[in-house]
Amino acid sequence: MKLIKAKDIYRTFITGDLETHVLKGVDIEVEEGEFVAIMGKSGAGKSTLMYQLSVLDHPTSGNLTVDNIDVSQLPESEQTEFRLNTLGYIFQDYALAPDLDASENVMLPLLMKGEDWDKAREKAVQMLESVGLKNKEENLPAQLSGGEQQRVAVARAIVGSPKIIFADEPTANLDSISGQAIIDLLGKLNERGQTIVIVTHEEEYTKYCNRIVRMEDGLIVKEEINRKIKSKK
Amino acid sequence: MRTFRIGLLLGLRQIQRASVWTTLLIISVMMLTFLNLIAVSGVLVGLIAGAENAVRENSLGDVVISTRSDEDHILNTQAIVRELDTYTEVTTRSVRYLGSGELEANYKERRDLQGDADVTNVKVTGIDPISENNTSNLSEYVVEGSYLSPDEEGMILIGAYYLSQYAELYGDIFETVEDVHPGDTVRLTAGDIQKEFTVKGILQSKVDDVNLNTYISEREFRRLFGRIDQNADLIAVKLVDPTTNQSVKDSLVQSGLDRFAKIQTFEEGTPKFLADIKKTFNLLGTFIGSIGLVVASITIFIIIFINALSRRRNIGILKGIGISERAIEIAYVLQAIFYALAGSALGAFLTYGVLIPYFDVNPIQFPFSEGILVAEPLSTFYKFITLFFTTLIAGFLPAWLITRQNTLNSILGRK
Repeated sequence: MKLIKAKDIYRTFITGDLETHVLKGVDIEVEEGEFVAIMGKSGAGKSTLMYQLSVLDHPTSGNLTVDNIDVSQLPESEQTEFRLNTLGYIFQDYALAPDLDASENVMLPLLMKGEDWDKAREKAVQMLESVGLKNKEENLPAQLSGGEQQRVAVARAIVGSPKIIFADEPTANLDSISGQAIIDLLGKLNERGQTIVIVTHEEEYTKYCNRIVRMEDGLIVKEEINRKIKSKK
Repeated sequence: MRTFRIGLLLGLRQIQRASVWTTLLIISVMMLTFLNLIAVSGVLVGLIAGAENAVRENSLGDVVISTRSDEDHILNTQAIVRELDTYTEVTTRSVRYLGSGELEANYKERRDLQGDADVTNVKVTGIDPISENNTSNLSEYVVEGSYLSPDEEGMILIGAYYLSQYAELYGDIFETVEDVHPGDTVRLTAGDIQKEFTVKGILQSKVDDVNLNTYISEREFRRLFGRIDQNADLIAVKLVDPTTNQSVKDSLVQSGLDRFAKIQTFEEGTPKFLADIKKTFNLLGTFIGSIGLVVASITIFIIIFINALSRRRNIGILKGIGISERAIEIAYVLQAIFYALAGSALGAFLTYGVLIPYFDVNPIQFPFSEGILVAEPLSTFYKFITLFFTTLIAGFLPAWLITRQNTLNSILGRK
């Protein structure tokens, strides 16, 4: 089943009289259970593409369907609801709420979905344990290392059982050991059937990806299938 | 509900983890705003309330019985007094005889009989010195000499504003006699009757009715003014509990005594202009306080705006992971509510726990009044509600401005 169907996606930014065409007619589809890496040099448009696919931005033109819903023209409030129920995010700099402890950060999507406080906390603690953060649930983000913060972000992204997880350069701020640990974690999630779309520019972190999409100048120029990894679907 | 719960979590944690000094500073701003709202009008109203209290304590009492407009004096005064003496609520009463006359001083030293005599028109009040003192504490206001004794005759107390040495502070507004001191003799003329008195004491009070009055014993008053019927002009009544004056007045009216006299509570007897000044001062105080309110709401707006702006990316990420705008707005509104409640609670404690008791014991000395701080609980409550909702709006607006920005722009820090 195709979870993402993007056809002829354009994204143009207008600043005064200047028009910058960042995406110039991108077509991409993502199957359920796939682990797709979007790669490319800086300015290639990979992050912009991910923002379109992850419903954080509106394409200037084109058709975009995620989980069989045309999301290209959803109003902002419905986009927020859609993201809550369908998508999970891992940002480059962890992006945790600084005033909430680790478990509260993980609980946020559950509480927003209407989950009972105690159940949400129980799930959050379990999820933190599953990403290797046992007994760290009451730590504030500032009391955790970069790698630990990113694990909390992973726990937050997966706790609501999203259909797709988007990770925007999740290892960029981490040392190589911590970065590898996060990629291993995502690999394990994918093994259990989780669909993941990751933006990265580091080749060594694509070992779990079953497809690599390479971009240049706002277009997909190459798609590589990793034969060693089978799609989980 | 879920939105509120998330807002509550985010808001509480932001308050909990904010810098203690910043929180204290904001709460102090709110507290000072609350005090500004309450205290400015409170002192202005207290200035008049202090004057009213003084008139109540030192002149009119809690219930005022005076001459009906269709009569010359209170009829059946003695019957009214007997009736008053049966009331357990009444602690004391003073029966006063009122008249006016001409006071002449320095006539013994006068050499030039063609020139102007040293005279002034005065109010004359005939009193029973003991009951008057019990009712109005008149003896406390003797600044020179001493108070009247019950059995002595030929003695007079003179209000300070009739004497040049006291009145000159106020310019030429009072008609005075020169250089009169206790022990001096003065002449009081009422109609065709003239009598010489020795000045027993000089009275000075915050109540003009005392400063512009002369007091002699009631027996001498009746002789001087030819009042043989013993019908007085005013009876000042003091009660055990001043707040019961309405019910005491009602009882007196039900007894039919209003056929003989006008019976009023102190509040009813207060001149309308005093009530009007009080209202005007209250308005003035509220207006001045409102400026403080505007300043405080701008302060809260700026604080919340800077707070939200510095967390713009965080807000974008929260929206990115599916937290609704409303939940984030609630978080900031909750912070504003916290600041308003904490500031108001501290302000209320300071007002009712410290300032009011302090000014009750140490009133502000105005020339015509001992100013107290007046803060009626209902009025304070309304001002608190005003402050609360103003703060609420001042907290909501910046949060709304930031949360309505494009999610991705917030995350990426783009304009």
